[in-house]
Amino acid sequence: MTQAEVDDTLKRILEHKGVTGYLIINNDGIPIRTTLDASLTQQYAALVRSLTDKARSSVREIDPTNELVFFRMRTRKHEILIAPDKEYILVVLQSTDVQ
Amino acid sequence: MSQAEVDDTLKRIQEHKGVQGFLIINNDGIPIRSSLDSTLTQQYAALIKSLSDKARSAIRDIDPTNELVFFRMRTKKHEILVAPDKEYTMIVLQATDAS
Repeated sequence: MTQAEVDDTLKRILEHKGVTGYLIINNDGIPIRTTLDASLTQQYAALVRSLTDKARSSVREIDPTNELVFFRMRTRKHEILIAPDKEYILVVLQSTDVQ
Repeated sequence: MSQAEVDDTLKRIQEHKGVQGFLIINNDGIPIRSSLDSTLTQQYAALIKSLSDKARSAIRDIDPTNELVFFRMRTKKHEILVAPDKEYTMIVLQATDAS
């Protein structure tokens, strides 16, 4: 994917109904792209990094041939969608009351 | 909910297309109902309990007025749906290729 394709995809995600923000973190938990303010970005980066690692290893512990592909947490206020990949993790925040 | 209503609901869930199994654990992580074999039950109980606790407290760390309501992990082989509640946590395994 070229940088332009990445930007287009992120723009499309952000314009999706209900999406309130996103961030992308690398394997060290460092946020490399974000639409959130600095403090929220840091909080989500830390939370998602450690939670994703735990979820991934839990899945592999139950079945070493299986692999975590995606996960979503629904909270009272919004939904947190997490797409882990080899080098990055994409996190999208989406409101739950979308028509 | 009466015991009969609980049983009916569990039966309905189990008959849902794609559902491979379920378990219910209490707040100590002890499985109280399960349709899986005992090894798998123990594994899921331990791993999901600890993941669920971590997810719940992470959500509250970011926003103490928010609360985790549900979460789902999509893996290569199936989906793991987790519904945490005050006294119990319900876990359902569902095939991802349910047409």
